[in-house]
Amino acid sequence: MRPADLMRRTSFRLALGVTLFVVSALVLASALSYNLLRQQLLTRQDARIIEIYTALQQTSLTGEVQDLVEAIATRITASPDRSTVFLLRAPDGQVLAANIPDVWVKPGWSTVDATVVDVPTDYPFRMFAGSLAGYSVIVGLTDADLDDLAEISLTAFGWSALAVMVIAIGAGALIASQVQSRISEVEATLHSVAHGDLTARLAVSRQGNDLDLIATAINSALARLGSVVDAMRQVSADIAHDLRTPLNRLRIHIEAADQPAALAEIDSIGQTFSALLRIAQIESGTPAETFTRLDVAAVLASVADVYAEVATDADMILTCHADAALWIMGDKGLLTQAFANLIENALRHCPPGTVITCEAAAFGDHATATIRDNGHGIPEAERDKVLRRLYRLEKSRTTEGSGLGLALVKAVSDAHGAVLVLDDADPGLIVRLSFPLATA
Amino acid sequence: MRLLLIEDDSAVSAYVARGLTEAGHICDVLHDGTDGLFHATRESYDVLVVDRMLPGLDGLSLVRALRAAGVRVPVLFLTALGGIDDRVTGLEAGGDDYLTKPFAFAELMARVNALARRPPVQDIQTTLRVADLELDMLTRQARRAGQNIDLLPKEFTLLEVLMRNAGRIVTRTMLLERVWDFHFDPKTSVVETHISRLRAKIDKPFDVALLQTVKNAGYMLHAPR
Repeated sequence: MRPADLMRRTSFRLALGVTLFVVSALVLASALSYNLLRQQLLTRQDARIIEIYTALQQTSLTGEVQDLVEAIATRITASPDRSTVFLLRAPDGQVLAANIPDVWVKPGWSTVDATVVDVPTDYPFRMFAGSLAGYSVIVGLTDADLDDLAEISLTAFGWSALAVMVIAIGAGALIASQVQSRISEVEATLHSVAHGDLTARLAVSRQGNDLDLIATAINSALARLGSVVDAMRQVSADIAHDLRTPLNRLRIHIEAADQPAALAEIDSIGQTFSALLRIAQIESGTPAETFTRLDVAAVLASVADVYAEVATDADMILTCHADAALWIMGDKGLLTQAFANLIENALRHCPPGTVITCEAAAFGDHATATIRDNGHGIPEAERDKVLRRLYRLEKSRTTEGSGLGLALVKAVSDAHGAVLVLDDADPGLIVRLSFPLATA
Repeated sequence: MRLLLIEDDSAVSAYVARGLTEAGHICDVLHDGTDGLFHATRESYDVLVVDRMLPGLDGLSLVRALRAAGVRVPVLFLTALGGIDDRVTGLEAGGDDYLTKPFAFAELMARVNALARRPPVQDIQTTLRVADLELDMLTRQARRAGQNIDLLPKEFTLLEVLMRNAGRIVTRTMLLERVWDFHFDPKTSVVETHISRLRAKIDKPFDVALLQTVKNAGYMLHAPR
């Protein structure tokens, strides 16, 4: 199956949709948890800063300034990597203890870049600046964890997204392929039914799921269709037998009585009857069984060849342009008769001097056979009606002809999945038959 | 020749049998498929005429059984079924020709004659000859009285069918089937037109006409008598 075809399959699109949905849900959940965690870490960082500041505050409350200086110095020693920074400034501006340059930080909470405090780290510092007994105290803290968090979250998200996608796509593909195989089965079965195999049935599993319900419904519809077609065939076989046998006896009596006029009459009845039956059979038939790959241009050309001389004798000109081979799936006998009927219609209904042109050419994925004349044509209002059985343009029905020629063409066209169009050739009639080209 | 007609409709079988007898043939008639198969295997016939719908054993099964038993007698199917596939089914079952009811006796007679004297397959003639008319099957060249005649491909096929059945009537329907592969009745004078074109080439420039029209039956090519 081509990728473009795959994309059109409902089950595959559903699987893809579910995967996309799950991944977006994961993105949302990850973003949410990242923010929560970050908030938590920030709160903790601030709590640690407050803890240190409170301890220093205690020291300043109970002792001298020197004690505060010593306490800060001890803490500075305890943080050789300067992940914790301090600055103690006397009211006169003199720095008493610090592990950062003398910078001004606004009172209260702030966040400053590491470069401001001249610490070689990528992470920003959280600062608290306060005043203890007139001395300005700055306590700062950087938390590598906090900024690693983004990276950690992203990595965690990446891996879980991958895992989820693999699982979702896998499960989706599994479900899709199961559903798809059932759908393909329905497709294949209906395709063979369309091509005449009315015995084809769908498998129904014991699960009784929705697809089984559909399969059961399709099967019963097919069974009904099959019995109707069987009945139709039986009826036409019965009619054929029960009418042809007495016709044959009647013909024998007439032949024995040497009545040429009556004989012609009964032969014409026999022909009309055969033509009607033939149309019914083509319409109800199973075409695919007799269909072969054939060159429709060659069929048209050979029929036109048969009638070229007949046209000459009727003072008409019949030409054919059908040189390039056009392969379709069809029944040679039926196509021959359809083309013959169309050409004979032109020969019988057009005045002497008429030019009849047959053409076969490919248009896109169709092979179009065209039979055109420059005779009287058919009025637009009548064009659909002439395809009906026993319909004739001459209301009096005195001229020869059964009114079945075009009905047969229509039946043959339908059996081939072709499109039959009658159009104005201005003047005259143009009949186009467009067949789907056979795949190579 | 000796014929076996297996047909359950007594009016049809009586008429056909009478016609065949009048034409100088011996015709056995049976009305049941089982009896028919029994006789066809035991006796030696030149042609079998078998109805498709028979009591006992249907015509198709009868002919299949015959062919399975190695009996190669030519079979003409008669049928009230005129379906598109019916002819093909009949030929596939081992029938040699097919005639749909209602039929003219002349049509049946012509087809029986064509079947009876059909040359065996291995005996392929490279040159067909009727009087001074010759048809070379290898070079696809027609010649009469030493003069070459140019024929179109379908005219050649038409002449070939007529020459292979020289001295026997070939009906319009037989020509439509064998020359043009038309299994329907055209409403225009297709056969007449092509016959007249052929006549103009093979008969008109010469003194004696070989191609005859047999009224209400068909055409016949034969040497002057």
